[in-house]
Amino acid sequence: MKFDMDYIAHHNELTEANPYYKLFLTIFLLILTLALDNLYFDIFIFIAMSIVILAIAKINYRSYLKFLSIPMAFVVLTCLFLIFFFGKGEVIYETGIFGIVVTTDSLHYGVYTFFRVVGCLPSLGFLALTTPIAKILHCLATLKVPKIVIEIALLMYNSIFIFLNEIDTMQKAQETRLGYHSYWNSFKSLGALASTIFLRSLDKSETLQHSLDSRGYTGELPVYNPRKREN
Amino acid sequence: MHIMEGYLPLQWCIIWFVISLIVVAFGIYQIKKIVDETPESKALLAVSGAFMFILSSLKLPSVTGSCSHPCGNGLGAALFGPAVTAVLATIVLIFQALLLAHGGLTTLGANIFSMGIVGPVIAWIVYKGLIKANISSTIAVFFAAFLGDLLTYVATSFQLALAFPAPTFGAALSNFLIIFAVTQIPLAIGEGILTVIIWDRLKAYKPKLLDKLGALAPNEA
Repeated sequence: MKFDMDYIAHHNELTEANPYYKLFLTIFLLILTLALDNLYFDIFIFIAMSIVILAIAKINYRSYLKFLSIPMAFVVLTCLFLIFFFGKGEVIYETGIFGIVVTTDSLHYGVYTFFRVVGCLPSLGFLALTTPIAKILHCLATLKVPKIVIEIALLMYNSIFIFLNEIDTMQKAQETRLGYHSYWNSFKSLGALASTIFLRSLDKSETLQHSLDSRGYTGELPVYNPRKREN
Repeated sequence: MHIMEGYLPLQWCIIWFVISLIVVAFGIYQIKKIVDETPESKALLAVSGAFMFILSSLKLPSVTGSCSHPCGNGLGAALFGPAVTAVLATIVLIFQALLLAHGGLTTLGANIFSMGIVGPVIAWIVYKGLIKANISSTIAVFFAAFLGDLLTYVATSFQLALAFPAPTFGAALSNFLIIFAVTQIPLAIGEGILTVIIWDRLKAYKPKLLDKLGALAPNEA
């Protein structure tokens, strides 16, 4: 359980690019793709954004395929489901099993939904794979998203990675003691794991609060925003 | 299993965004009030949010052989109440979209509505109701987590049926309910059991904290 995407977001050719452009481009493209709902445009966006991700941001094609694979597998399944079980209108194909048929309407739904997802995924990928979370949050902060939300999000992002390390250790310890040997055992282990992390997280939050207080915390976290490196 | 990027047509994205924004804005207002009263709760909120995220990336052993993950919204609702959970769920969903490609930005509103609003509200009502009826908090938390998880998927089915009403809204709804909600029942029971195990340990180690949050039954405090 590693967040490869976070690593990639920090190590690619577009990491230092202006995050505002990236954020607005992504949102603009997403809305445009949904609004046009045009099959050719979907494919065009898919190809264009894939080129940007692979050629300009220079992201490893394997990572990109991995990013696409899980949502893609899911969308293929649900769209097949849409094609076979939904719809009225003219029957164009009969499977002969339980009277399941494909109709013009259901085909339309399935195909359009599939290509809409195909068009949207690379746009999301562009933002997720090229922009570190901290930069996105900084953008949102200057765009008048309430300060308290940004602060909680930043602290949350910070603690997620602390927890991940601890979970890794604990899970390995449980596994070596056959903690996931049987079905019921794995429930008990998972419950113990989750509650231990929660208890630890409470301690962590206390420590965090003390350290913040001792450094004169008044409800605002000034974040250093490094200038673009000039070579 | 959230609604993925681009799955919903534009008008539904906008509708769900508007509905969710209202609730989340109210949640932010509440968080502000809590933080003004007790400044040290900010770190607790952040860490609980991270806990929700981590919980949703743990794999739950499931009967059908596939893997699913607990939503964690039942526990959040029982501890903090629904409005605060909605805000935490919003941040969690943004992180899931950007770190795990799970869910999406355009469908964020719809996902907040199902996972951050419907689930926690139901869980909270069930939890408070059972505790009022003098049932031990362990049993109450099981039903809160079970129903919170299940209702999240029922809400998702509603949203999908509204977006794809073919041949009729009712037929589409029953189709989506069979796929999303019925298959989710064993997973929801799993989440219920997991939450009970977590809850038991919390009660054993941090009873004072639960009491301070007002999350315990009156006879257990």
